[in-house]
Amino acid sequence: MIVVTGASRGLGRSISERLASKGYEICGVARTVFPASFELASVDVASEAQVREFARAIRDRGIPVTCLINAAGVAAMNLALMAPPATVRSLVATNLFGTMFMCQSIAPLMIRAGGGSIINFSTIAVSLALAGESAYVASKAGVEAYSRTLARELARHSISVNCIAPGPIDTELLRGVSAEQRSSVVGQQIIQRQFEAQDVCDVVELMIDPRSRSLTGHVLHIGGV
Amino acid sequence: MVINEIRMILGDPSVTLTGEAALIGDNRIIDSTGLVELCLRLEDKAISMGFEFDWTSETAMSKSRGMFRTIGALQDEFMRQKSSRE
Repeated sequence: MIVVTGASRGLGRSISERLASKGYEICGVARTVFPASFELASVDVASEAQVREFARAIRDRGIPVTCLINAAGVAAMNLALMAPPATVRSLVATNLFGTMFMCQSIAPLMIRAGGGSIINFSTIAVSLALAGESAYVASKAGVEAYSRTLARELARHSISVNCIAPGPIDTELLRGVSAEQRSSVVGQQIIQRQFEAQDVCDVVELMIDPRSRSLTGHVLHIGGV
Repeated sequence: MVINEIRMILGDPSVTLTGEAALIGDNRIIDSTGLVELCLRLEDKAISMGFEFDWTSETAMSKSRGMFRTIGALQDEFMRQKSSRE
């Protein structure tokens, strides 16, 4: 089974649908659930208690978990000195703590399954240190650092941990980001074109392929940076 | 019980272990991989005994008061959690 967070929309949904269409057993996680082509569980990843309960339920079903994809995320644009504390807390709670809670609860299930792959999501904004996104960037930089450390801790258990860091992808997360702002970011990528959710799905498929097991502790930038 | 599980992990059923043996720090008797395996084994034990074993408490890794400082401390914490859920 592959667990995907943020599965109700955006990249998480695209990834879940792609992998489900390829025959993988998917258990999507989202705060709100709806009929989907894959199993979807109601979990707020920022809630450690809910994440634990979810992991216990998966464990009790006895289905081996071989992959965790942490695509749940929220974004907000604020100048660093004007970011409302509640916004900062929300960004860190979902993006960083949510990723950590899921890894902490699901990795033991993957160890039981004999190993697997964890894919966390960062953003190109970390490498570019984009002005106006300090809290978002801080939360995702935390995800990158956490992932690299986790990769070292889990390597002995045959679990790889990598990050995918997309540039602007046309999802709800970019609501409020102007075309000019997107172009500006895309212009700083090595490949200067805006990629799509399906390009990210392609990379996810590569990273869950057993042939990629030698890769761990990496941050993969869609489009290059 | 914890001693028996560690013996299984070490693959040596006759190894001499005491409650004072350290699980973390320089003199630990098992490595970090073994410690995770031990936790999973204790989790399974707990389930079979009808409770959930939480190995992520705030003080889990404290050398002075954490549950992993010695075999005895881990045994005590396991039994404490069992009792508290009864």
